[in-house]
Amino acid sequence: MSTLTAQSGLGWEAARRRAFLWGLLPSLAVLLVITLVPALALLVASFTPLSLTDAAATFHFNDPLVNYRHLLEDERFLRSIATQLKLSISSVALQLAVGLGLALLLNGRSKLLGATRTVFLIPMVLPPIVVALIWKIMYTPDVSPLHRALEAVGLPVRSLIANPDTALWAISIADTWQWFPFTMLMVLATLQMVPDDPLEAASLDGANRWQLFRYIVFPYIRPVLVVCGLFRLIDSFKAFPLIYVLTDGGPGTVTEVTNYYGFIQAFNFSYWGYASAIAMVMLAGVFMLSWLVGRLGWNDHDKR
Amino acid sequence: MTSADATLTLPASLTAAALPLPATRRAGWLRRQARGLVAIALLLVVMFPFLWLVQLAFKPGAEIFEDSLLFVPTLEGFRSLLQGNFLKSFWNSLAVSTLSTGLSLLIGVPAAYALTRWQFRGRRHVALWILVTRMAPPIAFTIPFFLAYRWLGLQDTIAGLAIVYLTFNLAIVIWLMQTFFEAVPTALEEAAYIDGCVVWQAFWRITLPLASPGLAATAVLCFIFSWNDFFYALILTRTNAITAPVAIVNFLQYEGWEWTKIAASGTLVMFPVVIFTVLVRTYLVRGLTAGGVKD
Repeated sequence: MSTLTAQSGLGWEAARRRAFLWGLLPSLAVLLVITLVPALALLVASFTPLSLTDAAATFHFNDPLVNYRHLLEDERFLRSIATQLKLSISSVALQLAVGLGLALLLNGRSKLLGATRTVFLIPMVLPPIVVALIWKIMYTPDVSPLHRALEAVGLPVRSLIANPDTALWAISIADTWQWFPFTMLMVLATLQMVPDDPLEAASLDGANRWQLFRYIVFPYIRPVLVVCGLFRLIDSFKAFPLIYVLTDGGPGTVTEVTNYYGFIQAFNFSYWGYASAIAMVMLAGVFMLSWLVGRLGWNDHDKR
Repeated sequence: MTSADATLTLPASLTAAALPLPATRRAGWLRRQARGLVAIALLLVVMFPFLWLVQLAFKPGAEIFEDSLLFVPTLEGFRSLLQGNFLKSFWNSLAVSTLSTGLSLLIGVPAAYALTRWQFRGRRHVALWILVTRMAPPIAFTIPFFLAYRWLGLQDTIAGLAIVYLTFNLAIVIWLMQTFFEAVPTALEEAAYIDGCVVWQAFWRITLPLASPGLAATAVLCFIFSWNDFFYALILTRTNAITAPVAIVNFLQYEGWEWTKIAASGTLVMFPVVIFTVLVRTYLVRGLTAGGVKD
């Protein structure tokens, strides 16, 4: 690059910069309008009692923190956070376990394993609503092969999604089914970069397979597991179609996660101001986790 | 970290058998076949719910509550979909996804190129902002968009929905295309500059054709993400611009439990996605894991 600059002089360099600016500007302008402006609007709305029933209150700022104060006292909201954490942590942990196990099993060069890897990808790319439909069928005793098999052996089980004790775990299983391929893919990609030499040296020294995994392979894949976990954790806050189709937040409110509670406040009750405050809390959580991802070196493109 | 630790509780036999050890490699044929067999057995177990949906779509309505897989496949479910409004929602999905993919490529690809080749101060912040927009929960965008669209008259329109999809598609295009542009050596562009090309000519004639497989994969990913969306479509459409995923949910809620028809609609909606996945697998993998692993 430096030789080029020397040849063509500063005028050329300025023209080049201008050209890049014109390439970048439309995207920045569009992103400004469709992300930053809505985010600001959301922030402003969260300071008002905006709702459909009380149109006059739309732009009242006399008590800007009323929604946030209300959030702290709203037991349904606090419970939704606990539900969210239970669902997110259980499904992410399961995804990491299943994804890692399958990646280790499928890490090989044969054609068969390659084909298997492709088919295992399918749950992740399916439309979430189809995943929800698949599990609605699995959990509906009338049409579910599992329920009928259990009935045939004399162990009829109540539908897992109708039972308050199991509904959340049923969703967690469906969510795991959809997202384990993500961890599997990431771990497979990393496994290909584990060098052979230390493995060979260690096995010559008499290390058994477990030790090889624990002390040589695992340190290589640990960072990617952490990143996967954080990534999936962030995405798990958005889980919506599964809950909408499988339980609708019920039975009662046992599967009502924060995202879903916000949705109900906004689009069932039309409490826009209050729902905006909920969304702001979620945004804050997501930003914190994203920042953590950045700190853990996920963002390697810029360092290169 | 707790979740990472949880993975350690895997049975040692499973993890150990899978290591790419020299010993395993030498042991050869039998061992590899055993692993393949385990893989296929697991595949059948994991994909069973998916396969059940597909077979349900072809099952005659009268036999829907029976377990037997020995039935004469019928297209009844698909036929009843053709008669209803489902086809319209399918076209809407197609139109919205195509429009949004086209728009995001048009705006996003030059931006990705500029971000790759132009090292300016604040570049890191711009890139991070673009990434964070992808992370934000959709509900944060839906509330302002819902209120604004009512006012702008964009509610329940294909254009309105396509614009909302830019909130995630643009980030995907910019982020992903950067990795593909990075792979194109700058020397080629410099040669073009010396021949008198300006920046965007060199980009159009040299860089973009070299990055075209990546471009295709990015387009497919954008299409899939738009096609798969449910949340935005549920809230921002009513009847006119309703998309296929929302139509499926309407079947579930309003048309009772016609399982054959519902399963057929699910099968139709996932069909394009599964085909795309198998066709562009390698690039898709790169796109889905973008940035997660250094390549």
